[in-house]
Amino acid sequence: MILDPILYLIAYPPLWQVLILGFLGSLAVAMVAIWFERKAAARVQRRIGPYWASPALGGFLNIIADMVRYVLQQLIIPGTVDRLTFYVAPIAAFIVSILPVIFIPLSSRPEFWPVASMDYSLLIALALSTLPPLLIIAAGWSSNNKFAVIGSMRESYVITAYELVAVVSILSASAATLTFNLVHIVDAQQPFKWLIILNPIAFLAAVLAVLMSTSAFPFEIPESEHEVVAGPYTEYSGALYAFNMGGAYVRRFVYALIIALVFLGGWAPYVPGPGPITGYVIPSIIVVLKALIIVLFISFLRAVYGRYRLDQALGAAWRLAIPLAIVGFGWSLLLAYIGVFH
Amino acid sequence: MPPKISLKKLDRRGGLFEGVKSNIHTLALGVKYLVDPQRSTLLYPKEYIEHRPGYRGFIIFIKDKCISCAACARICPSAAMKMVRVTEIDPKHPDKPRQKQYPVINYQRCIFCGFCVDVCPTEALYHVPFHDIVYENLADMFLSLEMFQVEPQRPATSEGLPVVYEVDEIKGLVKRRKS
Repeated sequence: MILDPILYLIAYPPLWQVLILGFLGSLAVAMVAIWFERKAAARVQRRIGPYWASPALGGFLNIIADMVRYVLQQLIIPGTVDRLTFYVAPIAAFIVSILPVIFIPLSSRPEFWPVASMDYSLLIALALSTLPPLLIIAAGWSSNNKFAVIGSMRESYVITAYELVAVVSILSASAATLTFNLVHIVDAQQPFKWLIILNPIAFLAAVLAVLMSTSAFPFEIPESEHEVVAGPYTEYSGALYAFNMGGAYVRRFVYALIIALVFLGGWAPYVPGPGPITGYVIPSIIVVLKALIIVLFISFLRAVYGRYRLDQALGAAWRLAIPLAIVGFGWSLLLAYIGVFH
Repeated sequence: MPPKISLKKLDRRGGLFEGVKSNIHTLALGVKYLVDPQRSTLLYPKEYIEHRPGYRGFIIFIKDKCISCAACARICPSAAMKMVRVTEIDPKHPDKPRQKQYPVINYQRCIFCGFCVDVCPTEALYHVPFHDIVYENLADMFLSLEMFQVEPQRPATSEGLPVVYEVDEIKGLVKRRKS
């Protein structure tokens, strides 16, 4: 009787999805991504990478030790910063980065959705995923440091390059399946009519947009270490820097979840059955694994690519990525006209 | 009149096709190294480099061969070697203690050039083929006359395996376990 509200709270889908899958899951994925990034770059560049912390695990404990260090490190606040924005911006960016998870269904069964209705979920998730860059700009601006200001200005330039690509290329799925509902989009791709096969151009444009938006390697322009110290995060230290750095990986994971649902067919070969195991656990594991593949691929790019200049990145976006996204959108309209999904 | 600078016109490399091709090539090369890495990092305590006999490492002093000529101390370019005055008792004439000079070394200054070993007329100094020894404080690096005569133990030999670096024509620098 007393337990009922507690059980209800534990099984409350938004809490479950945001706290377990959203926060802890994306934390775990961020750790795996950072570890893979360092290890893959080391293997390609003839080094060994993290090793001595745990040779059996390939140095994975090194990442956990780094995290503990970030949390316990002294938090240095320079005297000249705008204090409120300086504190709030990274934390808010981190939280806003996780928020789209609420609108990402991990099962086609309504009882396991975090929100009651999944109509327009793709639109809302995309809209929420475009918010964090503004908070990063605020963080850089409030730092009152020339590197931070240059970094946040670069971030704002890059936003103009990738925002259109991300929205148009991911919404091309809506054009093909004639719905904004992510569940319907996934169900339309059952079993193997995945949009990555039917519309690879839009997928390529979407991956390019994710690379730019999370400053992954060919477009790691805002926080390029050799030019502006750490970009918008120059003045941050300790836990606040961890929020900043982790926020990028969380955003990458959330984008990868959206792409996994939209282009890789979500839980596609599998049809969720009744009950929590077959209805929620197995499809969510399939979706997270697909998203993890995208995250690890993006991490791997650090090993092989150099960094584009700002003007090269903007040129690549406006001359290559945006036409690519529009062509992908047109291709999706063609798919809808032929009636592949209906 | 300053010389006129003429810039060489470079051909613009390829178009879209060339760009796509080079990107795919880059990714393929990265995947190749990811699957089959050719690492050259030395995992130090587990492995150590076995140097050739002529390697100029730590310098050891043999007191019985020394004739106290001080050539080593004079030629030392970084003034790491100094002569110290020692009172010795000759067994044949125990009532007459005599003064002799012997070299000592300061490893804070030594640059391992090996001039002292080369110049020594009686070969009273020689190299050991390693220099990976850790001192706990700076004062320990100033060796006394007794410490200068002791050949140090290499710490990595107790737990590590010897490794040789070789230049391969295709792979570049290759690390190989010495059998």
